[in-house]
Amino acid sequence: MFKLISTTSLFVVAVLSVFNNVYAADLTDANEIVSKANLVSYYAGNDGRSEARMLITDAQGREQKRQFTILRRDREEGGEQDFLVVFSRPSDVRNTVFLVAKKPGGDDDRWLYLPGLDLVKRISAGDKRTSFVGSHYFYEDVSGRSIREDSHQLLETTDKYYVIENKPLDTNSAEFSRYIAWINKTSFLPEKIEYMDENDTVYRRVEVLSSALIQGHETVTKSKVSDLRSGGSTTLEFRFQNYDLGMDQAVFSERSLRKPPREWLQRGQ
Amino acid sequence: MGFKAWLVALAMEKPKSVFLMIIALVVLAGLQIPSIKVDTDPENMLPHDQVDRVFHDNVKKRFSLYDSIIVGVVNTESEQGVYNPQTLQDLHQLSTAVQSMPGVIRQDLMSLDTVDNISQSVDQPGTIRFEWMMKSAPTTQLQADQIKASVENLPLLQNTLVSGDGKAAGVYIPIESKSESYRLSQEIQIVIDQLQAKHPDSGNEFYMAGLPVAEDTFGVEMFIQMAISAPLAGLMIFILMWVFFRSMLLITAPMLVALAAVIITMGLLIGQGYTVHIMSSMIPIFLMPIAVVDSVHILSEFSDRYKPGDKPKAALREVIGHLFTPMFYTSITSAVGFASLAFTPIPPVQIFGLHVAFGILLAFVLTVTLVPAYIVSLSPKRLAALKDHSISEQVHEDEASLLSRLLSITGRFSIAKSKALVVMFVGVTLVSIYGLTTIQINDNPVRWFKEDHRLRIADKVMNEHFSGTYDAFLVLERTGLDQQKAAFLAYLRKQVNARENAEGVVAKLDKILGSLDSEEYSALLQKLTFELDDAAYEDSAHEESWLALLDTVEKAQSESKYFLTPEALAYLDDLQLFLNDSELIGKSNSLVTLLKTVYRELQGGDSSQYKLPESSNAAAQTILSFQSSHRPDDLWHMVTPDYNSTALWLQLKSGDNQEMSRVIQLVDDYVALHPLPENVEMNWAGLTYINVVWQEQMVTGMLSSLTSAFFMVLVMMFVLFRSIKLGLLAMLPLTVTILFIYGLIGFVGKDYDMPIAVLSALTLGLSVDFAIHFLERCRATYQQTGSWPETVDEMYKGPARAISRNAVVVAIGFTPLLFAPLVPYITVGFFLAMIMAVSAVVTVVLLPAVINGIKNKDKLFSVSENDLLKKQTGER
Repeated sequence: MFKLISTTSLFVVAVLSVFNNVYAADLTDANEIVSKANLVSYYAGNDGRSEARMLITDAQGREQKRQFTILRRDREEGGEQDFLVVFSRPSDVRNTVFLVAKKPGGDDDRWLYLPGLDLVKRISAGDKRTSFVGSHYFYEDVSGRSIREDSHQLLETTDKYYVIENKPLDTNSAEFSRYIAWINKTSFLPEKIEYMDENDTVYRRVEVLSSALIQGHETVTKSKVSDLRSGGSTTLEFRFQNYDLGMDQAVFSERSLRKPPREWLQRGQ
Repeated sequence: MGFKAWLVALAMEKPKSVFLMIIALVVLAGLQIPSIKVDTDPENMLPHDQVDRVFHDNVKKRFSLYDSIIVGVVNTESEQGVYNPQTLQDLHQLSTAVQSMPGVIRQDLMSLDTVDNISQSVDQPGTIRFEWMMKSAPTTQLQADQIKASVENLPLLQNTLVSGDGKAAGVYIPIESKSESYRLSQEIQIVIDQLQAKHPDSGNEFYMAGLPVAEDTFGVEMFIQMAISAPLAGLMIFILMWVFFRSMLLITAPMLVALAAVIITMGLLIGQGYTVHIMSSMIPIFLMPIAVVDSVHILSEFSDRYKPGDKPKAALREVIGHLFTPMFYTSITSAVGFASLAFTPIPPVQIFGLHVAFGILLAFVLTVTLVPAYIVSLSPKRLAALKDHSISEQVHEDEASLLSRLLSITGRFSIAKSKALVVMFVGVTLVSIYGLTTIQINDNPVRWFKEDHRLRIADKVMNEHFSGTYDAFLVLERTGLDQQKAAFLAYLRKQVNARENAEGVVAKLDKILGSLDSEEYSALLQKLTFELDDAAYEDSAHEESWLALLDTVEKAQSESKYFLTPEALAYLDDLQLFLNDSELIGKSNSLVTLLKTVYRELQGGDSSQYKLPESSNAAAQTILSFQSSHRPDDLWHMVTPDYNSTALWLQLKSGDNQEMSRVIQLVDDYVALHPLPENVEMNWAGLTYINVVWQEQMVTGMLSSLTSAFFMVLVMMFVLFRSIKLGLLAMLPLTVTILFIYGLIGFVGKDYDMPIAVLSALTLGLSVDFAIHFLERCRATYQQTGSWPETVDEMYKGPARAISRNAVVVAIGFTPLLFAPLVPYITVGFFLAMIMAVSAVVTVVLLPAVINGIKNKDKLFSVSENDLLKKQTGER
């Protein structure tokens, strides 16, 4: 029932946000802003498909590439989601699959399929701030950090951005002491996020390099994470994005690990 | 000698100008001294472009390796060792504090709280679990026990982060620069002290180890030592001269010469922008005793000849006329001895040698200018006072002194038992040569500290518990990549041309390849995949062709990742197993260790699964699993992102060069039996290895220094004495001395290290002085008296005493070094004193005995050159 409504409601949100910007007063509730940003960033459409191309560059300029297709389906707007990540390149990790059942506020269920070992493995992680396949992105950057894990405060409202300060409620759960997000007032995409350590030094930065309106959703097409300590960075490009493809929940079953759903992985839907 | 006359005339006629010029030089040089830069980095023992050093630097960059400080927490009181809540809490606090210190590479810091645990989930069977090993410090013993179980299950951590006996845990702190390590060690010590103060009963002991701390701390202590030892040496010489001469007036001139020589030389060194290395820091201590000796000669003789009321210039001219040649030769020979160090391919040793040589020659010039200028400037009253304290009176006083009697007895003895003495010296020399062959060539910067130094203690304790705090890296790399690149490009072109509608693709492909022409093979493949992917995206008309090319490139890329192939990994695995079996190696970590561990956990964690993945793809996917951890970049310390180069990290328990040499031999033997795979090259890196390299360079370099100095001095002796026999005789004492000293080093078991090596060349320059003076006087006296017994008698009155005195001055001048807290200083001080003593004894005892055995003494002392020589031998 909820799903049915959400398609239209999201469209309405997008229109409304434009409307808000022009006519309405700025938002003042940090939680509301963050909540909207969360929806825009991770919950566009009921489901979605995107081909990602990742370039990991170390401090010496040495590069590594990863290419994968992400399929996503929301179980609940702003709540539980399923992800299927299927690797295509480099060829030695082709058909490696991650399956994630995201549970905001709890431990996600994660599975991994390694074709070279013909092994399906369930993964349990102490936290979600581990590297995503050796890149400078964290697992949490890809799947979304639960907005309930931080306290949010609106620091400033500029012409273009809501500047939000976020502090972890459980200081032990994250390696940062706080982070500041610049959320676009129109699109509600967080266009820049800077993480500070205990000395309040910025050591990590996530930026949106480009975005596009796809099926009515402002969608990130290129982003970058910089590790300011090591000097390395990762850029992530998204292409061939589609929303609301009508994916079935079965796409995100354990069966898909060994037999990735070809129909959704092919381009040109 | 026109120059000589001019120089002396200048000094006597224009003393003020001489003073002003010297003062100007001293001031100019003195102004350079504040910009002193101390450098104790043993890496700098090698030139920057030395091949092993270039490789070492390259490896550090290639694998993002940094110099590290290792802090150890040891707990022998608790039954659980370090695995008790209090110790782990302290460790956690320490690590947290260190992480925010500037100069620390925090993302690479290794400690229980910054590493990951890979394990089987307890709650969900069959699930692999990634989590921080110790995100927060445990509060219960149960939690501490869990950490223990986890660490013991991970070969990468066990014995590296926590010792095998569980009694010690380490924090590996990579730092931006070695020169920061002393400062950081001080800051870390403050944290440690706070922890100790907070929990005095914890039973925790903290230690700091690692070569960088040792090296940088040495630099700091050396700097302090320089400020103490050099003035102390000056004071010692001052006191000694006071004892001998009891005249401030007399002592002032030599002290001024020494001071000016030291300041100008150091100013010159620093002013040229050279850093002050361990050896260079000893320059003042070397120069001072050498510098005073000549002026003592002049003053002694002057006070002998000068009669109150006379014009001092006439006496002075005569004295310098006598002394100029022997002083000149002794200065030149000493300088040659030091300058020969320039043949050693070690920049700090070269700089040291050349500057001391300069300092000695400078001291000579100062002696023949400053001293006459000083005397001329004295008022007649003061000159008269000088006479009161004249050496001649001393000599008469001394007539019955212990030294005189001893020397007199020695003289009679060495003639009476000359044959037995010669036989004895031959015997001693033979035994010395045997001792020489037993010399152990070895060095270890940590041993530059005394045994009770905190760093030595830390080194001992840490290496007792851990697999070793000394690093060496065995780097294997694929070669012939350029040929592979050429072959691949040819293949790719063939592929394109074979396709049907090639023309649409060829032009663009050529453009792409052209832009990537200068890239290395792996980077070329990497970038090409991106470009082709883009091309397929943009040029959808030829999408299929582009994607086909992309597949070709990707296939080549997979194949180019050599150190993921079973063949390469198997070789690495065998090598590592072999190394781990050796007692020389504490532990080794490599890509194999990582792969096996992750593979085991992926396969359910059973120890039977501790093995390598079966294919390249399986290895790549095992690595991909590891990369989903908190520290994915740890991988790149072991292998490069193109998988064409891999580093085996060896932990050694000792930083002794000998140990490292044995490890190198071990690996060489292994590779001889198990040849490296085709197109694979193996090389060493790491500080412990670099120390071996410069030591080898030094040993061979010293040999050539010594040989060249020996022959140069020999030639000079031929020229000086114009006699082959006398020239050879002059070389006899120093030859016997060098052999004796090094034989002794062999017998005592003292390692032949850097300071010992440097000593060889200078022994030569210093100990030949005695022989020059002795033989010159011997010849002059014989020519006067024509009688050998009379000559001997005379020799044991004046010259033998002068030699003994000089030996004592120089030897005592070096004694402050004995009280230094740093071992190289003690070594140098002790052996220099030894050298002085031995060569003086050998000169005084052996030379007469040998001459006694030579039949035709008239011929030996070439009576025909009588006149000439009478003039030259002004030795008192």
